[in-house]
Amino acid sequence: MAGGMDLGGGGKGGKKPLDAQINLVPFIDLMAVTIVFLIMSAVWTQLGRLQVSQSGQSTSEDQQPPDQKQPVNLLITEKELKLSVGGTPFDTVPVTRDPKGRIDLSKLTGYLAQIKKDQPDQSAITLQTEDAVLYEDLVRIIDNCIGSQFPSVSVSPAST
Amino acid sequence: MAIQTPGKRFGKRLEHSKVFGHGLHGKKSSNADLNVTPLVDMFVILVLFLVANFSNGEVLMMTKDINLPEAANTEELVLAPVVMVSKTEVLISGALVGRVDDLTREEYLNIPALEEKLRDMKKQFEDLHNAAQDTNAFKGDVNIQADKSAQFKIIKRVMFSCASAGYGNISFATLAASPTKEGESASRD
Repeated sequence: MAGGMDLGGGGKGGKKPLDAQINLVPFIDLMAVTIVFLIMSAVWTQLGRLQVSQSGQSTSEDQQPPDQKQPVNLLITEKELKLSVGGTPFDTVPVTRDPKGRIDLSKLTGYLAQIKKDQPDQSAITLQTEDAVLYEDLVRIIDNCIGSQFPSVSVSPAST
Repeated sequence: MAIQTPGKRFGKRLEHSKVFGHGLHGKKSSNADLNVTPLVDMFVILVLFLVANFSNGEVLMMTKDINLPEAANTEELVLAPVVMVSKTEVLISGALVGRVDDLTREEYLNIPALEEKLRDMKKQFEDLHNAAQDTNAFKGDVNIQADKSAQFKIIKRVMFSCASAGYGNISFATLAASPTKEGESASRD
């Protein structure tokens, strides 16, 4: 029988073949069309989100009581970044860019790591941003802050 | 001269002979069956893979007017109202709420049309969920999908409008960059 299906066939008109074959050609056509459609409609870019809050709001539901943690502020202007902890300023970081036009944040990362070392429980940072700052730069700084273990990022306009 | 298959050749005269000609080995069937089962298997696996991987791209509508910035430390996008800020326009759910040029000139803190639209959406959401007696509370999530060249002046007004309308959980939509790539660039800096 060789894997075929017994179809009976003991009739008067001679023997019928015992192997039945399914026609796979329409199925292959359907598959080919489906694959082309899926590939064309697929979203190849991976998206993500950075959660921020406006200053004075908190993203986390469980509010912690006020404690001795000193607030971390970063003033972002077009030309420089000014980091301060509890009113004590760090050295101003001038805005420099790499050949791709992206803002250089290595110094800021160093300062944030230093603050994290001094205050391991501190997870909040407020970014006071000037109007002319580009969204790309702001997102890059927020990303850097989250990467430096400051996940509660608040954004507020810089006081003029 | 034509290329011949190696083997016995008996000359033209005996070509049609049953003994020495083509009749020597009997006639082969002219129908050849192609085994398509591995092809079908491969197609099925490919379709399942594509369906499983690319069915979650409905959160944002990607347009060529908006180039998203890249970020490495991102979370997964949630389904929420999307405020789109392109180089020229501010839109919510595809509806225009302001032009960037006008918004840059004005000195207001909010964008009234955006705030009104968001309030409507919030009311709709709450009415629907109250009617369905759904205990799922309104979370106030909103996604801002802004072009990377947009100024903070516009983003500030969008954020203020969202917060005023009750959408306090603001997320910036970004392209997810791999942390290694960011690390490499940082070390290069």
